[in-house]
Amino acid sequence: MTERQVLRIRHLEIALRTGQRILNGVELGIQPGRILGVIGESGAGKSMIGSAIADTLPRGLGISGGAIEFDGLTLTDMTARTRRSLLGRDIGFIPQEPMSALNPSLTIGHQICHHLARIGLRTAKVRRDRAVELFAEVGLDRPQALLDNYPHQLSGGMLQRVLIAMAFASNPRLVIADEPTTALDVTIQKKVVELIARTREAHDTSVLFITHDLQLAAEICDDVSVLYAGRIVETGAARRIINAPRHPYSRCLNLATPNLKGRMARLMILPGTMPGPVERTGMKGCEFATRCPIAEGLCRTARPPLAEIAPGHWSACHWPERTGTVAVPKAADAAEGFVLGSAPVLRAKGLGKAYRQHDWLGRVREVQALRNLDFEIREGEFVGIVGESGSGKSSLTKMIVGLEDVTSGVLEVAGLDRATAPRAAFFDKVQLVFQDPQSALNPRRRIASLVTQALEGRAHALSKADQKALVTELLGKVMLPPDVAGRFPDQLSGGQKQRVNIARALCSNPRLLIADEIVSGLDVSVQAQILELLRALRREAGFSLLLVSHDLAVVRHVCDRTLVMCKGEIVEQGPVEEVFSNPLHPYTRELVAAAQGAGIDGGP
Amino acid sequence: MMGRNYRFADLGLFIGGSFAALVLICGIFAPWIAPYHPNDQELLYILAPPVWAEGGTAEHLFGTDSLGRDTLSRLIYGARTAMTVAVAASFGAMLLGAFFAHLAGYFGGWVDWIISRTVEVWLSFPPVVLSMLLITGLGIGIDKVILAIVLVDWTRFCRVLRSEVQVVRGQDYVAFARLIGLSHPRVIMKEIFPATLPMLITLLSLQMGISVVVEAILSFVAMGVPSDVPAWGQMIADARIDMYYAPWGLAVPIFAIFLTVLSFNLLGDGLRRRLDPRQSAERGA
Repeated sequence: MTERQVLRIRHLEIALRTGQRILNGVELGIQPGRILGVIGESGAGKSMIGSAIADTLPRGLGISGGAIEFDGLTLTDMTARTRRSLLGRDIGFIPQEPMSALNPSLTIGHQICHHLARIGLRTAKVRRDRAVELFAEVGLDRPQALLDNYPHQLSGGMLQRVLIAMAFASNPRLVIADEPTTALDVTIQKKVVELIARTREAHDTSVLFITHDLQLAAEICDDVSVLYAGRIVETGAARRIINAPRHPYSRCLNLATPNLKGRMARLMILPGTMPGPVERTGMKGCEFATRCPIAEGLCRTARPPLAEIAPGHWSACHWPERTGTVAVPKAADAAEGFVLGSAPVLRAKGLGKAYRQHDWLGRVREVQALRNLDFEIREGEFVGIVGESGSGKSSLTKMIVGLEDVTSGVLEVAGLDRATAPRAAFFDKVQLVFQDPQSALNPRRRIASLVTQALEGRAHALSKADQKALVTELLGKVMLPPDVAGRFPDQLSGGQKQRVNIARALCSNPRLLIADEIVSGLDVSVQAQILELLRALRREAGFSLLLVSHDLAVVRHVCDRTLVMCKGEIVEQGPVEEVFSNPLHPYTRELVAAAQGAGIDGGP
Repeated sequence: MMGRNYRFADLGLFIGGSFAALVLICGIFAPWIAPYHPNDQELLYILAPPVWAEGGTAEHLFGTDSLGRDTLSRLIYGARTAMTVAVAASFGAMLLGAFFAHLAGYFGGWVDWIISRTVEVWLSFPPVVLSMLLITGLGIGIDKVILAIVLVDWTRFCRVLRSEVQVVRGQDYVAFARLIGLSHPRVIMKEIFPATLPMLITLLSLQMGISVVVEAILSFVAMGVPSDVPAWGQMIADARIDMYYAPWGLAVPIFAIFLTVLSFNLLGDGLRRRLDPRQSAERGA
């Protein structure tokens, strides 16, 4: 650790004004020209590190101990003024949401030139030339024309390129990228990550890459630090940590991530949730002990220090050598083989959807959102739809549930024609699980009332006792304790809300369940819980599932068959393994290549 | 920081709420509270000063007006007029406005277009002039004042609530309610209305303050209630002539209007903070 480091964080502590600690003794170091990944689930405090460097900590939070050294200077001792002059010039930032990082009412050119003026380019001509140069470097076409565009005229991927160009404009020593690809499509994610890596090489810049995505970190980072409950639990070379971790938490994360290659295994499910700031301040032992599969008495009383267990590899565990023994517990019933019914639950023939748009002269223009779809879903079958945004996935699901009308072709759901049969005939047969549980659950209803909401439309009401029994049964199906019934959605965690969301859809015993990106907003460990839940439900509940996802590994983990959609058409369909291991259509190949990346090696 | 703001909101809510309640009680129980009948004249005691000024007596706490009527009694009976108008007119405006707001926000499309354009045209008339015009057409009387305020101010509710309804309409839980087969009226009543209710209550409270002012303006220009019904605006108009040597007759009703409107605004503001789910997400785990 004697090498010169661009950024050195020593024993950083961030606490609420009330004294509860968010970050605890965080040690990080980045050598020149390297990429350090900080991996953590939501609530781990990973974004706080970036905010602490940028001096943009949220109100009520402050640095209560430790130091941040940048290039030999202690950032935490500087006056606000000198620090600000350093930011943007020597330290660049790539934000999480490119759409909200740029001012929508100013042109791209105006904003980048403003930034260039700040870093010392004097004349307008020089600034414009430099901007064009930078845009060309990050692979943006028509850089000249782009300068006069407004942010809304560009796609998310293009905006992120603009922001990357801005971050690297001043040849900074350090760039902080806080989840730069979360808001983007998979295929674009890969390009953006590559771009960051390439630009970093060209400018010889160090990068602090904050992410929740193990795959992504494996692909881009040289070194990785894993953050859990405000504490670094493991640091070392990216390959080693991701493929041969020496801390049970890293190992569990690895086992909870579905993969595209290798043997299909059950996903690791971590019990409980990460301790919040209040709980972790009171903890004496290891923060992970409550959820750790190999924890012993000592773990709960003494906190293991971050110790070097091999050259360049630190782990904060009493028994790092036992990490390898952490494995996914065997399921009680291994009966995976069950028979698919032969009757189709859903059949689409030449299905199409066109939207009519009126322009200001009243002329009608037709936009084809979906074209000529042919597919079937059989009874009990789990089918995944993959494709990037704009491919028509959501239009299709809306049409199936009846939120949109069919404009051409035939769509048969549960033996009834969607276009002609009365709406009421479908209410019990098709249900939708919404993507965002926050928006899908009425915050003013209690869980019990939410779960049995589907019965409200019925003519005859259930008795109080029957309803209560039904609530308990439904909550049991999604593995929630019955006492949740009296709570409000705000009082549940993200994963719990998503379970309520699923339980609610199961209430009327639908024959077809449509799940629209139901795990995309969730952490790895929560995603694993939901995916395993779907697999378990399949064995007992007997419904068909249409799972929409941008994540191929998720589809592979849960589904039998997959449809690949591109620009409103199905370009490829077939059994999951076949499609992903031997993609025929060029678009599928691109998707699979983007998803595979460096990847995590198969299970144990 | 947070704790302080919270306490301030609570204080405003408390003060505003209690004063508004006081005015309301005065209005309801005016015949029992007021020391005299508001139209009783005591011609020996015209323009008597209030009790704390020189020459004031305890018999007329706030003094008397130019016709020898007890100012305090008129103030209390005036509260009755003001509150009748405030409550009835605000509820009327709320019902009308909320009805159209939910229709426009929920159904969108041409329903929304028609309602929104109507509201915009309506709003382009200056509200006080519009209400005077209506009174000229309808004639004077307390019911006419209420009707005029309802017809003028429903747009205020409609505009604000419509955008609130649109936000809630976009939530997935509303789509879900449609998917399980609830009818449109049920979705509006069970899923959307509870979410807009806090906003509705807040607007109602603010509208009460506005109604008090409008009623005062109308009765000031003698277009409100008949002259035998005491009203604050009328008291100001009556005291105007003698304002140089009997300023109290003018100050007391103005002060009453000011305090009443302020208390309704404080109440509305406090309610908004308390009822807004975005501000009170922590319901205690």
